[in-house]
Amino acid sequence: MNARVLVVDDDAALSEMIGIVLQSENFEASFCADGAKAVDAFRTVEPDLVLLDLMLPGMDGIEICRRIRAESGVPIVMLTAKSDTTDVVKGLEAGADDYIAKPFKPTELVARIRARLRHGETQGTEQLLIADLAIDVPGHRVTRDSEAINLTPLEFDLIVALARKPWQVFSREVLLEQVWGYRHQADTRLVNVHVQRLRAKVEKDPENPEVVVTVRGVGYRAGTPVR
Amino acid sequence: MTDAAGGADPPPRADAFAGVRRRAERWRRLLRVRARLALLAWRRSLRLRVASTTVAVGVIALALLGLLLSAQIRDGLFDDRRDQVLADAATRADLAQQQFDASTVSSTQEVQQLATDMVAGLQETSAGSSGVFLMRSPNTPALILDPSTNDSLRPLISPELRERVQADHFQAWQSVAIPRSDGGVTPGIAVGSAVTLPLAGEYELYLIYSLGAEQQNLDLLQGVLTVGAVSLLVLLLAMAWYLTRQVLDPVQQAARTAERLAHGHLTERMQVRGDDELALLGRSFNEMAESLQHQIERLANLSLMQQRFVSDVSHELRTPLTTVRMASEVLYHARDEFTPVQARSAELLQTQLDRFEALLADLLEISRFDAGAATLEAEEADVREVVRRVVDLTAPLAANRGSELVMHLASSSCTADIDQRRVERVLRNLIVNAIEHGEGGPIDVLVGVDARVVDVVVRDHGIGMTAMEAEHVFDRFWRADPARARTLGGTGLGLAISLEDARLHGGDLEAWGSPGEGAAFRLSLPRRAGQSITTHPLALRPVRSDPNLEPPDDTSAANPAALPDLHPESPTSHEEVNG
Repeated sequence: MNARVLVVDDDAALSEMIGIVLQSENFEASFCADGAKAVDAFRTVEPDLVLLDLMLPGMDGIEICRRIRAESGVPIVMLTAKSDTTDVVKGLEAGADDYIAKPFKPTELVARIRARLRHGETQGTEQLLIADLAIDVPGHRVTRDSEAINLTPLEFDLIVALARKPWQVFSREVLLEQVWGYRHQADTRLVNVHVQRLRAKVEKDPENPEVVVTVRGVGYRAGTPVR
Repeated sequence: MTDAAGGADPPPRADAFAGVRRRAERWRRLLRVRARLALLAWRRSLRLRVASTTVAVGVIALALLGLLLSAQIRDGLFDDRRDQVLADAATRADLAQQQFDASTVSSTQEVQQLATDMVAGLQETSAGSSGVFLMRSPNTPALILDPSTNDSLRPLISPELRERVQADHFQAWQSVAIPRSDGGVTPGIAVGSAVTLPLAGEYELYLIYSLGAEQQNLDLLQGVLTVGAVSLLVLLLAMAWYLTRQVLDPVQQAARTAERLAHGHLTERMQVRGDDELALLGRSFNEMAESLQHQIERLANLSLMQQRFVSDVSHELRTPLTTVRMASEVLYHARDEFTPVQARSAELLQTQLDRFEALLADLLEISRFDAGAATLEAEEADVREVVRRVVDLTAPLAANRGSELVMHLASSSCTADIDQRRVERVLRNLIVNAIEHGEGGPIDVLVGVDARVVDVVVRDHGIGMTAMEAEHVFDRFWRADPARARTLGGTGLGLAISLEDARLHGGDLEAWGSPGEGAAFRLSLPRRAGQSITTHPLALRPVRSDPNLEPPDDTSAANPAALPDLHPESPTSHEEVNG
């Protein structure tokens, strides 16, 4: 089954070109040019991934991102012309998983999409413990006292990467490679923002994190299992 | 200072002199310090100057006035009293003479009695008289004892006064000091007249009048004057203080406001009260601040517009460019199915798009610097690590051109507050540049450090450049040789951006070149943000075979990072040799 990608962009030429590239890579592409209709399109298409332009007529990309994230954990990749502005951080904070700065190459686009669609290889019945949380890796579930915590696939990948090697301190660069699939240097703000989002969901007190512990000047580490 | 017989002088004297000299020296030093402090305060404070000048002038004027006044009053009082005393004395002398003349005494006892009664009578009737004396003239035979009412005052009648009375046979006077019982003296006047006693003959009558009441009046008056003068002085001081305050407060306020304006508080204004000259100062000042604020805000607006424009251009250009880019990519990957002409066209399209993209990116980057929108994301990092990373990345390119990248890294930690992305970009630029112009020769990458600065020098041994060219390499779109093509896809903005990156760190980027010898670029970064660069651990023109430099693969790279301040002398620091 081919993965469905919803492309939300008001530039018809770019949308069509992205469609051509996606189809040549065996993705199924749907399009939406109007920000105001994007959320409806998302509901009808039920895509496996959303490519979202940040500057749109109708409703801006950040708001769309927030609305989609409110009802789904589906991967969202932003298309942005302004990689250096606060828009990127705002988009990430609104729930986008990753972003691609224009102009990009088709290979780059495809690599980003594939990285987001790739699901953690699940072998057997891997169970992990991190702080007071239990992670059922194949079941894609995180529980605290048998109460499930709802994480997006990216957040799940992030917590699993940390929990698999609780003795290791992960630098932001290593996390970018393991979780986002960047082989070269990338924007470490991705890690910062998503660690914050993850903490907001899993920490009892996000001000004093126990699950994802910051190691100053190095990166992050999994909290020691309680039990 | 010592006399001629110095050789014979015993040493203790010299010692004593030395001690005195030392003490004098100490005092002089102390005084000099005090004087300097006072002078400083004097120069610094207009208020102090005005107040002390006013007080000094006031003191002198009041002292002169007081002296003059009290002298006038004293003389007036004395003259009045003297005239009164002389008239009184004359009357009494006449009266006494008449009584003497009218008396009918026949014996020495009677004369004695008469004289004593007369003296006592005069003493009783004349006001303010301290003593009355009858004294025998020198030529008169001693018949009776000289009667007096107060024998203790007898020495006050001086021989000179007596001589004048005897010579004039009339009234003479002299100022005397009458001793008081408390040991002090009261001013007085002694008046003498010649009288003739029956039987006894020529005698002199002396009356001593006290000026105690006048003295008291004078004292009281002087006291009043002094009190008045002191109050006037205090008033003067207060006035001076108040007036200088009136004038200086607005000036001080202006200074404070100007300072705050200078610190960027553009809305700061002076308070203006009234309609006088000082209010004018305030108003003019505020007008100036207003116009300044207006100008600055206008410039800030322009800069903001520029930034927005750059951002818009960026977005508007990038979207179509992305489409073109992707289309070109699709064509490029399908070029095997094209005719040779079409295939070559697709290739050209592809490579030139790369160039176009790089150019656009560089243009946007430099306009960001121009707009002042570039921000430094500095964190502490070891520059050697960055250098290693860039060298690893560029080594394949160097190998392609037959060049070898040789690192000479300082053995001690080279941590600095740097924006790694920018420093990496600078170094990549410098190294790629060196590879392009290095003509296959080795390229040295040196890292040196001292307490304040980390230097990175990239040196090639290629065609080099002239000093004139070295001056221009950082100019935008500048080419040393217009005929020479850029082979590694440089945009012509790389070094200009690198220079901006270095300056954003508070550092610098310099170039040196010599035709045929190669070229060198030195990137200097302050180790702590805000520090200025005054020294250089590395020379721009590299010293050949420097013994202090370590071979490329030193094992000390794992040294724990230490505070730069703990390494005032790094092992690799040496003097700069170029001019």
